[in-house]
Amino acid sequence: MQIQNYNMPDELYYEENHFWIRDDGDFLVMGMDDFAQVMAGEIVYVQLPDEGKRLNTGKKFAKIESGKWLGKAFAPVNGELVGVNEELEENPGLINDDCYGKGWMYKIKPDDKGELDNLIKGQEAVEKWLLADIEKYAEE
Amino acid sequence: MNKMEAKYDFERKYREQVLQCSRCGFCQAVCPVFGSTLRPALNARGKMLLLKEVMDGKIQLDDELIESLFQCTTCASCFENCPSGVNVPDIIKQVRKDMVSIGTCHPAFKGMNEVLKRHTNIYAEDDAEDFGREKNRKAEIVYFVGCVGLYREEESTEATLDLLDRLNVDYTLIDEVCCSGVLEDVGFEINEELARKNIELVFATGAKTLITGCPYCSRTFNNKPQYAELREKGVNVLHISQFLKDFDMGVKTDKKVTYHDPCDLGRHCGIYEEPREIIRKIAPNFVEMAHHHADSLCCGAGGGVRGAYAKNSLAMARRRLQEAEEIDAEVVLTECNSCIHNLSNAKLRRQKFEVYNITRFINELMENK
Repeated sequence: MQIQNYNMPDELYYEENHFWIRDDGDFLVMGMDDFAQVMAGEIVYVQLPDEGKRLNTGKKFAKIESGKWLGKAFAPVNGELVGVNEELEENPGLINDDCYGKGWMYKIKPDDKGELDNLIKGQEAVEKWLLADIEKYAEE
Repeated sequence: MNKMEAKYDFERKYREQVLQCSRCGFCQAVCPVFGSTLRPALNARGKMLLLKEVMDGKIQLDDELIESLFQCTTCASCFENCPSGVNVPDIIKQVRKDMVSIGTCHPAFKGMNEVLKRHTNIYAEDDAEDFGREKNRKAEIVYFVGCVGLYREEESTEATLDLLDRLNVDYTLIDEVCCSGVLEDVGFEINEELARKNIELVFATGAKTLITGCPYCSRTFNNKPQYAELREKGVNVLHISQFLKDFDMGVKTDKKVTYHDPCDLGRHCGIYEEPREIIRKIAPNFVEMAHHHADSLCCGAGGGVRGAYAKNSLAMARRRLQEAEEIDAEVVLTECNSCIHNLSNAKLRRQKFEVYNITRFINELMENK
């Protein structure tokens, strides 16, 4: 779906800090959403932790930087980091070019996929959440 | 015939030096910006040629020149190796001020100046960590963290503070604000209000020693007139490597350790041996990289380049880390949070060495003892 100028695909789950999560069967794929990549500007660094890292819901597990902005990636579910997009090591700008495709960031093996239900999904919920954040950041 | 009046301060102050550049190209071999971009227009010789053209009235000092003149880490490697003694970093800093005075500036630096009018630090993040320590108390020493240590390398700062605690140092943190020295590098002036606040906070503690983890803050406090009152009232400003060199840490490592000289500590302040004295005591297997001391390669973070030209800045850091790889180092130490930040960001996953501040490394050795 398109919300104002932002592309927010319907089939994805969203974490409140503007990361998307895709259900790929046994694994989840995670990346930055369109709103976040526009707000951040050119991404220059993405921390790619070693595979095997334990992730705890809501806890910070990586840093992302664009110029003077420092962002943090928070675990959307409990689980294990099982893959990272190594292309981002030398070309973090892929997040700006194609945030839902070549700019994917992390692959996660969840302990319990049921936790996905705690994330934001569906047109009504996504629209309400995004519009509130658009307003919030416009004020700042 | 009357000599034409110089249009800009850089010409009034540095005309002879710009003309002194003999175009030999020694600077090209050592310029980190050229090393990562391979563009002669961006090295010191290229910059001096452009400035000669400006002085000759052949080109204008305008936005077209931003990419070259604002893309310099002011590492002073060129100055160190220049047979004609051209002080390129000082010339560049003056040219940037001239450019700002006519409304030409890289937007990142214009933004930084604006940010420091409204916020306490270059990142506009007004929620500083207190690292679980009481601030602004009476103490012998003030430890001044610096913006990068407060907002980008907090883990490193926490480890440094833990180390000071282990060594029973009587220090306090203060509600510090950016020393604003970096503004002088990117075309502006030190923010007097911020300087005044730092001075008053230091005096309020009664401390007679001010230690910084940031070499640039240390340079600013020691050299800039806006901070002269500190020196005049007997506050001794030290970089933490100077302060720690005589301590017996009581720990050792067998790991192969190397050291990266921060430009602000090495070439700009001549502090090369103090960090090495500390390292040699704890790491007998200490090895230098191919470039070290005054010939050290810049990490690419200085002069505002990390903020304005991040990709090139990281490419410079990767060149530096390549040298660590070549000597099979297991640990790369330095003592500058900007260097730590850039080198850590640039480290590739396949590179298995660790990048630490010396203080953090020692603290971890003590923790695991």
